[in-house]
Amino acid sequence: MSIRPLFVALAVLALAGCAADPAPNEQLRLTEQALEQAKAVGATAADVPEMKLAEDKFNRAKGSMNDQSFKNARMRAEQAELDARLAEARVLTLKSEEQLNVLNTRITRLRKQLGDAQ
Amino acid sequence: MSLKTKALGGLILAGCASLYGCAGQHSEAALQQASTDFQKVKEDSNVLRIAPKDVIRAGESLARADRLSSYWGSGSDVLHYAYLSERYSEIAREHTNQVLNEERAAKLELERQRLQLALRESKLLSVQQQGKWLEEQIVALATTQTDRGLVMTLGDVLFDTGEAELKSSANRVVLKIVQFLQLNPKRVVRIEGYADSTGGKQENLKLSRDRAQSVADVLMDLGIDDKRIQVEGYGDEYPVDVNASERGRAQNRRVEIVFSDEKGQLGAAR
Repeated sequence: MSIRPLFVALAVLALAGCAADPAPNEQLRLTEQALEQAKAVGATAADVPEMKLAEDKFNRAKGSMNDQSFKNARMRAEQAELDARLAEARVLTLKSEEQLNVLNTRITRLRKQLGDAQ
Repeated sequence: MSLKTKALGGLILAGCASLYGCAGQHSEAALQQASTDFQKVKEDSNVLRIAPKDVIRAGESLARADRLSSYWGSGSDVLHYAYLSERYSEIAREHTNQVLNEERAAKLELERQRLQLALRESKLLSVQQQGKWLEEQIVALATTQTDRGLVMTLGDVLFDTGEAELKSSANRVVLKIVQFLQLNPKRVVRIEGYADSTGGKQENLKLSRDRAQSVADVLMDLGIDDKRIQVEGYGDEYPVDVNASERGRAQNRRVEIVFSDEKGQLGAAR
């Protein structure tokens, strides 16, 4: 038995590997954008757990890029993007809740004063 | 083939199968979870109205995870797409909550404006009812031009002893200030509270600050933007009279309103 078929198989596998997973540069750009957007609304890794996940995964994705492990890089970057988007959404929801609280306090105070005045 | 290699092969095969089994169970559970979450957002009419795109993406990722789960050895891909699907569902949910809050806030804002108007009217009415003679009682109302700028003093008579709430006899002054600030939209104010020297330092500081804050609150309630109002409490510092006499102490218990110039420049705080 010759070992030529083995080489052929390896070559095919390697080619398939390349074809299936090109370097996910676009995804990394998207992820970075999502992280920046989340930071811009005030999400920090210390306050929002999803932000920490996003930053960690993004760093690991960059590590995978260096190792030419493109599939891992893409998956991590995709997860990091959504983690960052969720972090952003959580911060915005929290802000809208705070705004509601402020309005409610003011309305209560106004009602109280109106009650006193009458 | 020897018995040994056969046994080894068998072991490896068993190992693979058990690994696959674990990964399979793991990804199966993740798939279940993602599918439950997706069902929930899909059936929520608010989510569908506010975040339809995220719901669609959650569905697409879930379908992908589901399709992959029928392939052998795709455990990590299934996990990945189940994760993405769950995230999209969560984002849709958060986004919906945010927009619902904002819609509610818009309604409350209208309510606040309505109440503000009603309060202003009722204060005007009470001022008219109080009549002229009360004017004389607001003796301590005075506006003076000092090196700190235009300063208006709200005297002790406008507060009950030891209390921070403004009495309704202050309505006239307060309305004047509001009117003035509305005619001069660029001007800002610093409201400074002062106490006499009786009582503890800490209590005096707190009372002076609370009194200044309650004046600020009333101004805000009547429609002055809170960004235009600073609040300070100075306790028993900066007396304007001696603390030895009752008259002097009454002079020292006061709230001063410092007005900025027309451009919004306030003198530095003390």
